[in-house]
Amino acid sequence: MAEGKVKTGVQKKRASKRAKKDWIAAYIFIAPVTIGLLIFYIWPFIQNVWFSFNDVNKFNIATFVGMQNYQDMIHDKEVWATFGNTLKYVVCTVPVGLFLSIFIAALLNSKIKGTSIYRTLYFLPSVTMAAAVAMVWKWIYNEKMGILNSVIRGLGGKGHGWLTDPKIALYMVMIVGLWMTVGYNMIILLAGMQGISQSYYEAAALDGAGTVQQFFKITIPMLTPTIFFVMITSIISGFQVFDVIYMMIGKTNPAYESTQTVVMLFYRQAFDYGYKGYAAAISILIFAVIMLVTVVQLWGQKKWVNYD
Amino acid sequence: MKKNLKKLAALGLCVAMGATMLVGCGGKSDGGSSGGKTTLTFGIWDENQRPAMEKLVEAYEAENEDVTVEIQLTPYKGGEYWTKLEAAATGGKAPDVFWLNVLHLDSYVDGGILADLTDAIAESDINDAFSETLVNNYVRDGVNYAVPKDFDTNALWYNKEIFDAAGVEYPTDDMTYEDLVATAEALKAAGLEDGVYPFACPVDFQTWYYQTVYANGGYIINDDKTETGYEDPKTQEGIQCWIDMIDKDLSPSAAALAETTADAMFEGNQLAMNFAGSYMVPEYAGNDAIADKIDCVEIPTFNGVEANCINGLGYAVYEGSKNKDAAIDFAIWLGSAEAMKIQGETGVVISARTDAQEYFAKANEAYNLAAYTNHADEAYPLPVCMAAAELYDLEATSLQKAYNGEESLADVCKELKAEADKLLEKDAK
Repeated sequence: MAEGKVKTGVQKKRASKRAKKDWIAAYIFIAPVTIGLLIFYIWPFIQNVWFSFNDVNKFNIATFVGMQNYQDMIHDKEVWATFGNTLKYVVCTVPVGLFLSIFIAALLNSKIKGTSIYRTLYFLPSVTMAAAVAMVWKWIYNEKMGILNSVIRGLGGKGHGWLTDPKIALYMVMIVGLWMTVGYNMIILLAGMQGISQSYYEAAALDGAGTVQQFFKITIPMLTPTIFFVMITSIISGFQVFDVIYMMIGKTNPAYESTQTVVMLFYRQAFDYGYKGYAAAISILIFAVIMLVTVVQLWGQKKWVNYD
Repeated sequence: MKKNLKKLAALGLCVAMGATMLVGCGGKSDGGSSGGKTTLTFGIWDENQRPAMEKLVEAYEAENEDVTVEIQLTPYKGGEYWTKLEAAATGGKAPDVFWLNVLHLDSYVDGGILADLTDAIAESDINDAFSETLVNNYVRDGVNYAVPKDFDTNALWYNKEIFDAAGVEYPTDDMTYEDLVATAEALKAAGLEDGVYPFACPVDFQTWYYQTVYANGGYIINDDKTETGYEDPKTQEGIQCWIDMIDKDLSPSAAALAETTADAMFEGNQLAMNFAGSYMVPEYAGNDAIADKIDCVEIPTFNGVEANCINGLGYAVYEGSKNKDAAIDFAIWLGSAEAMKIQGETGVVISARTDAQEYFAKANEAYNLAAYTNHADEAYPLPVCMAAAELYDLEATSLQKAYNGEESLADVCKELKAEADKLLEKDAK
């Protein structure tokens, strides 16, 4: 750069030129992601909205039908039944999952030997493919030769058809879902805990607060933004639960009806039966419900989330 | 300078990433003909059959030097093959020639993606060399949409070791349903090991109850495709006979079989007898745990009628193909005596051409595989309609309740018929 020719007043101009360059660089950097999002998320979403007002067959030949899909949906018992199952899944897994991940994060935040090993162990399920996890758990639960029933029989019990009993199959699936997600949430919460300044704890200790008191009076309040984040993402992913159930529950399983979630229904309608328009309408309904729940939470957070 | 270099590197990376993405989405350019050579794509789904298909391609390329054929394999499992095929057909990029089964035929005809093969088939020897049933499986409104490739039927397999231990005589080709029950009862009375069952009756249409439903004179869908036959007492008898075997404890419960399939149990030496389609033979023969202990016989007759279901695949041509004529030539050749022999000799499937059926039994002489082909001409084709996939799902989830004793079969069938008839009505629109 020609330093010698710098005049007064150019300083400012040069700074803005540089800023401009930075912006351009920044845009180039985010371009791959932005283009990807536009092509693979935003455009399909718009198409999906359009599909939901059409009768779309397997080969994407669309005929406009207005609100027909939505009207059909209201009268479709399966939509409500699967939404009921999904809601049950969310209501059960989110609080339990939050509790477990906070609990484990707190334990792993303390000074015990081999924390990094434990952290890895707890995190492993989150980076394992869901389909593989489901296959392994399917065998654990298997009525005839599963390890769970072997242990129970070894202890003198009778064993049970864990995945074929309509009353409990969904809860058994929830356990797998929790096992898979607790590790991920735990890592986020752990990061949040480590972001809390040590000086709070020192001050509390000087004032005579015990570990339990410190946990409830410092850790939890300071952690609320992270808890809030984990809660929102857990609820969203809970509404979208699909892969584990798809892998674990077959069509001739007696527990089939009691474990079908709304995303499973969407998948079947779109890809097994070829009613893509109707499936699009179902997915819009899922979108609307998730949005509503998230908006309520964003509004409700003012009452309990602490951003200081 | 150094800084600029870094910038350049970053920019380069970005471009590279962006480019990869665009390439990933655009996919390969169309085959088409380059330099006088025609490239055809050939869509299949079975890894077991890839070697056979490669041999076919090799033979065809040797005879037609100006054609190259590229095999595209997409797994069947989870409907992946169909999902991809449908998406590709929408985008005008489906394989030129591809496997198609009867189950998907109606909706593909409706979608207009299948080429009309009527004239090409009429000019070839296909109409004479194949059984009429097989050719007609792929005919809709007088138009041929596919060349029959192979078919599958069912047979009764048994585990000699379990029979020997129980001192019960092996099943035979001329058994009746009553004989099957008697054999199962004899096995049970002789005392089988813990967890071992004489037979299995899962909620399975093609390999189990459709065979007895049809043999008994019942039906699933009427000829006009306006009504389902679940409420016909003859249909119900053909289903009830399997539920009876569960109730007599000759088979594990349907719930247990939903978790551990009959095939898994048979391959784990936990079933004395099992029904299996011909497509299971390579798996059974390749499993060292049972391969030497098993054999098969014909499916038992029901009420004196040969009871067997037949299903199969065909080679279809994509209507939007850029080389439709070359693709049709290839599809027709795949039905020729030469091609059917190459396929048959691999022993993986039963070739559809009548004179090539014998190769299946010859390819593996350890087993009585003629059980699959002896009565193939009397076997019943699967009932199909536009909403076949949905109908089969509805049927399985409903009948499961009767199999598990939750409701009586008559009650289940009443509800099932009402729902299934609605499906057919929706179809007709």
